[in-house]
Amino acid sequence: MKSRWAKYLIRWFFAPHRADELEDDLDELFQQRVELIGLRQARWRYVRDVISLMRPSLMRPSLLKQQLTNEYPQPFFLTPTMISNYVKIAWRNLMRAKGYASLNIAGLAVGMAASALIFLWIQSELTYDRFYTKTDRLFQVYNRDIFSGNAQVWGTTPKPLAPALKQDYPDIEDAIRFRPTGFLLTAGDKKLNSEGAYADPSFLNLFDFSLLAGNREKVLSGNNGIVITKALAEKLFGTTDALGKVVQLDHKNSFSVTGILDDLPTNTQFSDVSFLLPWTAFVTPSWDSDGWASNNNYTFVLLKDKVNSDLVDEKIKRLTANHLKGVVEDVTNRQIFLHPASQWHLYSKQENGQLTEGKIVTVRLFGIIAALILLIAAVNFINLSTARSEKRAKEVGVRKVAGAQKSALIFQFISESVLLTFLSGILALLLIVLCIPTFNDVTGKQLSLSFGSISFWGAALAFVLFTGLLAGSYPAFYLANFQPVKVMKGISQSVHAVFSPRKGLVIAQFTFAIVLIIATLVIKHQINYAQNRESGYDRNNLLFSYLSGDLPDHYGSLQQELIQRGAAVAVSKSLGPITTISSRQWGLSWPGSTKADKDIEFDRFAADADFLKTTGTKLIAGREIDVRQYPTDSSAVLLNETAVKTMHLKTPIGATVSFDNRNWQVIGVVKDFIFASPYEAINPVLVHGPKGSVPLSWTSIRLNPANTTAQNLELAEAVFKKYNPGYPFEYTFADESYKAKFADEQRTSLLTSLFTGLTIFISCLGLFGLAAYTAQQRTKEIGVRKVLGASIPSIIGLLTKDFIQLLVIAFVIGAPIGWYAMDQWLQDYNYRIAIGAGVFVLTLLSSLVIVMLTVSFQAIKAALVNPVRSLRSE
Amino acid sequence: MKGTYLGEFEEVVLLAVAIRSGDAYGATVVTEIEQQMKRSVNLGAVHSALNRLGEKGLVTSELGGMTAERGGRRKRLYSVTAAGRRALEEIRQVRNQMWESIPNTIWM
Repeated sequence: MKSRWAKYLIRWFFAPHRADELEDDLDELFQQRVELIGLRQARWRYVRDVISLMRPSLMRPSLLKQQLTNEYPQPFFLTPTMISNYVKIAWRNLMRAKGYASLNIAGLAVGMAASALIFLWIQSELTYDRFYTKTDRLFQVYNRDIFSGNAQVWGTTPKPLAPALKQDYPDIEDAIRFRPTGFLLTAGDKKLNSEGAYADPSFLNLFDFSLLAGNREKVLSGNNGIVITKALAEKLFGTTDALGKVVQLDHKNSFSVTGILDDLPTNTQFSDVSFLLPWTAFVTPSWDSDGWASNNNYTFVLLKDKVNSDLVDEKIKRLTANHLKGVVEDVTNRQIFLHPASQWHLYSKQENGQLTEGKIVTVRLFGIIAALILLIAAVNFINLSTARSEKRAKEVGVRKVAGAQKSALIFQFISESVLLTFLSGILALLLIVLCIPTFNDVTGKQLSLSFGSISFWGAALAFVLFTGLLAGSYPAFYLANFQPVKVMKGISQSVHAVFSPRKGLVIAQFTFAIVLIIATLVIKHQINYAQNRESGYDRNNLLFSYLSGDLPDHYGSLQQELIQRGAAVAVSKSLGPITTISSRQWGLSWPGSTKADKDIEFDRFAADADFLKTTGTKLIAGREIDVRQYPTDSSAVLLNETAVKTMHLKTPIGATVSFDNRNWQVIGVVKDFIFASPYEAINPVLVHGPKGSVPLSWTSIRLNPANTTAQNLELAEAVFKKYNPGYPFEYTFADESYKAKFADEQRTSLLTSLFTGLTIFISCLGLFGLAAYTAQQRTKEIGVRKVLGASIPSIIGLLTKDFIQLLVIAFVIGAPIGWYAMDQWLQDYNYRIAIGAGVFVLTLLSSLVIVMLTVSFQAIKAALVNPVRSLRSE
Repeated sequence: MKGTYLGEFEEVVLLAVAIRSGDAYGATVVTEIEQQMKRSVNLGAVHSALNRLGEKGLVTSELGGMTAERGGRRKRLYSVTAAGRRALEEIRQVRNQMWESIPNTIWM
């Protein structure tokens, strides 16, 4: 009937002896009015009456207390004079305790700098592909299908999809094809290998990257126009004024520059693109059909305004499937769907045929870490301020006696901490500027501070204020609560309480540090473990080169001459570098294989000859492929140990394996080697001769160990230039690309170490201050103990004992958390360490050492003081 | 002005208390005024006026007995004091006097 809030309001607001009566009046009037003017009107009047009753004369006396007790009007405490007074007092307090202030400022500065850097990173992640004017209408088309019981999604689509979507669905404003590509670009005597893409003309309409020159609508509509980025124009022509100039691709077709793109921002998935070619210039390679069965392109879709993408999903769901009927065996589960631009970067992890949270998890984790680092810095501030509070207690007492209101005192202390934070902020800004290049190296980003923008300074100011409030509020309330009678009499707050908030905060700091130390150690162990894993081939002196330009035609001579000139001891033509999987194959059959075996996926590799000799893989049985000596070897195949095991072959040599519509003869078995990730279990591998459907367009070269690498490269370059003068000699070392497999983990490791270091540093600053304070407070006690014969070590023990206790408690809390978190992390790796007790022992020992080092300086100082000095005053 | 000044609304409230004598409390005063004057009145305004009248000594209040109709709770009953009655009469007298001073001719 009546609203409940009104009842609470009345109870809270009114003097208890009036509340009953007023409530009755309200009820009675309400009853009458329901009959007179109807329920709705009555309710409305009820509300009006409640509001009209909010008068001082009816108010609860406690709400009026201040008015009743203050007979003299209080001056408003936020007058300019008072504010300048607060600042002055704050400054004097700062100057009086320089050591304490610098500890505080340094801790806050480091904390603020670290968390601000992380926030910058987070911001760049969150804005990824979200800055187009049409972002909310942009989608990428994905496929979904079920393969051997597993739902899978993938983002490459058939060529006819985009035109079909655009034509047949009125909800879709535009749909374009997009296909990344790479070319050797030539302009005059400048040659440059570059990444770019083919795209339909309206690409720049969907993605509004800024075009410095050229007509947005037309740049991609011709047949032989090319759009290049500013950076590429400068590299090729030495100027950005390149409209109309000619670029040759792979020494074949010439394109004239129709547009100059501003360099693409780093936070887009197109950031690698340095040139765009019109889709019509795209020539379909032999292995890539124009039909609906071949998925090799991206399709981007622009929906019309206010169109619900779920409804569109429902309409287009069966589009590819319908075109694939009769072409592909089973299309019952094939679907297409739209993936919104705002989720491309952060929500693109495949799980059970869905795209779900991916990088967003890392972003959240970093957010938590940033917040915790800031919090730890704030905790230092809180601890040091409350510890020092007795020094300020008299001041509080005097101010209160002189008539200061509590709110005025709170404001004073908060403004003091904001001032301190402000100084830290300046220092933090300096730190950020110094650290940003390194941070960018580590994270692979191009973050920067935009000093020119107002919003940047606004955000910085807000950040400083926030930190100031975070750090300063508790001490302010704590100090402002002191009772003048007590502090003026000299009664101190209890220092030795069993549990004080201060101790709790120190434990929290330590716990965080311990979790991070555990994380650092586990990550380091895991990387070492994987790095020491036997790779199964010889990574030294091995390099790969793509057979570009004329090289495929002259491969025989190239191979011979490399060996003759002494640059190499073995050369092999292959499907790709041995450090990456270039192809996968399923649908194999062999003697004794079942229908289910067709689902087994093999990593596929192909070579013409000298595969073992070049890569250094070990032969276990049979012989290796050699098409030069045995021409029939072009349909020979080698298996790795895992393949033999998976296929249950008792006598593998001589067995016939069928795939690619051909029979292959097994001629040898090689020892397992790491093709893909050193963290994963090894897959079954096929190494077959050149007769397959895959092109052998790479060469692996085993350099001559008798020469230096530089000599070998020089010789090799001469040979490559001889047969392929139009192209630069480009190569990759096997050991480098193997090392790159650890890049992600190395980055994680580096960042965790960094966070750990920071956390420990900031915590230690606080600890240092606290220890100094404790030592100072117990000067007299120590003096008495020394006079009575206590030894110096026993006094040091006395002072460090408390902190060690806190550390041990933190360890007990932090160790399980760290163990759990890292166990979860390790689940992602097949080839992984078990977390042993060693990690925890090491964590405890190292943190003990750190705490001891931090605290003992103060303890020793205190213990060495001559008691005559400390006791003289009494 | 000499003596106790009564605002227009206070006067109306005082009159309503007098009309409802014996049964004058917040809600009845509100209904009385609303019925007599055909205008909507806020409960808060009435209570505030009653308070002021109380401070000026023109009404007194006492807690009435319990009645079943009011859910067993006691209500605060207001009554006009002698001073209140005098104030009302004075006003009425002044009004009458002024009425009589209007020259007849202006109505013609």
